[in-house]
Amino acid sequence: MSRIRLYLSNDTSSCAAGTERLVEAWRKRSDVELVRTSSRGAFFLEPMVERESPEGRLAWCRVTADDLPKILAGEGGIPVSAIPFLSMQTRHTFATFGVTEPLSVEAYQAQGGLAGLRAAQAMSPPAIILELKASRLRGRGGAAFPVWKKWDVAATEEADRKYVVANADEGDAGTYCDRMIMEGDPFRLIEGMLICARAIGAGAGYIYCRQEYPAARATVQAAIRAAGEAGWLESGGKPFVIEVVSGAGSYVCGEETALLESLEGRRGVVRARPPHPAQSGLYGKPTIVSNVLTFATVPNILARGGSWHASMGTEGSRGTAVLQLGGRVRQPGLIEVPFGLTLREVLDQFGQGMADGARLKAVQVGGPLGSLFTDAQLDIPICFDAFAKAEAILGHGGIVVFDDETDMLELSRHLMAFVADESCGKCVPCRIGSLRAREILDTIQRGRATAADLSLLTELGDTMKATSLCGLGARAPYPVLSALEHFPMEFHSRLQR
Amino acid sequence: MLALKRYAVKTALPNGLDNLLAHARPSHGDPPNILRILHAVCEVYGYIDPQFIPAIAQSQGVTEADVAGVLSYYPSLYTQPAGRHRIQVCLGESCLANRCDRVVEAIQSALGIPLGQTTPDGRFTLEPVSCVGNCALSPSVRIDGALQGRVRPGDVPRLLDRYR
Ligand SMILES: Cc1cc2nc3c(=O)[nH]c(=O)nc-3n(C[C@H](O)[C@H](O)[C@H](O)COP(=O)(O)O)c2cc1C
Ligand code: FES
Repeated sequence: MSRIRLYLSNDTSSCAAGTERLVEAWRKRSDVELVRTSSRGAFFLEPMVERESPEGRLAWCRVTADDLPKILAGEGGIPVSAIPFLSMQTRHTFATFGVTEPLSVEAYQAQGGLAGLRAAQAMSPPAIILELKASRLRGRGGAAFPVWKKWDVAATEEADRKYVVANADEGDAGTYCDRMIMEGDPFRLIEGMLICARAIGAGAGYIYCRQEYPAARATVQAAIRAAGEAGWLESGGKPFVIEVVSGAGSYVCGEETALLESLEGRRGVVRARPPHPAQSGLYGKPTIVSNVLTFATVPNILARGGSWHASMGTEGSRGTAVLQLGGRVRQPGLIEVPFGLTLREVLDQFGQGMADGARLKAVQVGGPLGSLFTDAQLDIPICFDAFAKAEAILGHGGIVVFDDETDMLELSRHLMAFVADESCGKCVPCRIGSLRAREILDTIQRGRATAADLSLLTELGDTMKATSLCGLGARAPYPVLSALEHFPMEFHSRLQR
Repeated sequence: MLALKRYAVKTALPNGLDNLLAHARPSHGDPPNILRILHAVCEVYGYIDPQFIPAIAQSQGVTEADVAGVLSYYPSLYTQPAGRHRIQVCLGESCLANRCDRVVEAIQSALGIPLGQTTPDGRFTLEPVSCVGNCALSPSVRIDGALQGRVRPGDVPRLLDRYR
């Protein structure tokens, strides 16, 4: 009897949702073969089980172990292509998610993997950088800096060693696309790093992975071994060694200069810039620090051409936005769409509104340093420029939706306490400012603050914005001050009379 | 002042630490990497006893202050042994939006300890964590590395029972 092949995701979140339980229940059966794939990112449907059919993959959603007879009989499955959350997306970087086994070099190549690297190997380093310039790709880690400019600086520096560093610290709560890439398509990250190495002439690479991602770390390590065995890990005729290094629970270590300090084994304290890492980075050598998603976006650009990438998105934001929807929405999950959709469209079309009966109060975009949006502000297009104009950030694409039970004063205190805890301490505005701001918010909560304290909070915020050394202190006031602006009564009503 | 005076007390190193430190000695010409050695010690022993700082410093050719500085900087370099089971509750924004505070309360009252502490019987350590990348399945709780999503306060007794 031939076994029926079932596909289940091996992603951390899918496992937490229950795929692990299904595998445990079914793995000894002789009538099924269980294949562990990456996740499609439609986490509200997990645990999801798929099977091949003449119409492509069929999916069974929110499956329990008792559903197996139904699945084996082929009853009740829906074509994956008919799941609106997925079919409405424009998947490029995440095109093969849910389809392939993460550590199969054959599957990676069969799905078009390595085409970017092969193209790059046929080009001169300056030509690679020109292709990136034509793509108009901007970094996806938060600062949205043009990728080609950084590479160009590192390429023109004269040095005996250069490094490529993938920023896999993914510190923003509410984001998980880097984790999904490392667990689900690690060769894409490696391919992007190899292309960068060729473009700038680097001899070694590091992946700085947050400690909270043990499965991602293990998968990337296994992928590096597999890539080495397949003979992929070379650049300019020399071996290109990639090492995975673990963080140790510090948020500010996601900031590129603090990350480099941490890679060198020291306290993760921010360095003053200039010089920028592309000029003087790891051990003082030219270093490209880029986000995991940024590296993973590069292979398609080389394979399909910079102009292909530049043809998507908006004027200042080309390509696709990778958004991660969380909080109190009905359908949380990973969304890849061209830049330009409005925040409201994303929440309505993909999120399908709020979870059971909850009402929307505020939306935070861009992690703990991101501004808060009210319902009235949701028509803002998802692109770097519109967000910059609104003094907001897209950051790493995290979108967290809060409902009407949320206490905005408590949320503000929580966010400021986070910054006070995580401040590296190098600059005074951030170190002292965040502490004072948290204290003021504490005082308001205790009913002991006056209107003067509130003005001090605003003043303090303005100072932090203007004078902090890095984005931690400079962005920290935004969520708090936007809460104060949109929900003044929640602050004023608790002042001392 | 007496309290400030340092005595060169040779603390006995636990089994194998000598060996670990010797292996972690930077090879010729390589810069020392304090975080890496501390990770290695933490992995083997579960925590880093501050008493080991002199030995660690010596193995890397750095000062004790260098080691102490790195050790105190990173939250997940533990300086105390944990309970037999480590419970991490996510306090990230997606989990907050999904009422992780109620899950925290449920665990706290089940164990009788606040966040950041270990039960008197040494069974559980309860600690906060900031986002484990499971935000589409908030609230998240991780126990000894096993991640749970969509945790409701009512699930807590059943969850903890598995580790009794
Ligand atoms: C406080 C702080 C935390 C940051 N955390 C991250 C992070 O976790 N991951 C990341 O890729 N970039 C993070 N960044 C941005 C990096 O400094 C840097 O801009 C980025 O890694 C560059 O990569 P990109 O060009 O691909 O965006 C952070 C910045 C700040 C100020
Ligand atoms: S916010 Fe809790 S898992 Fe991300």
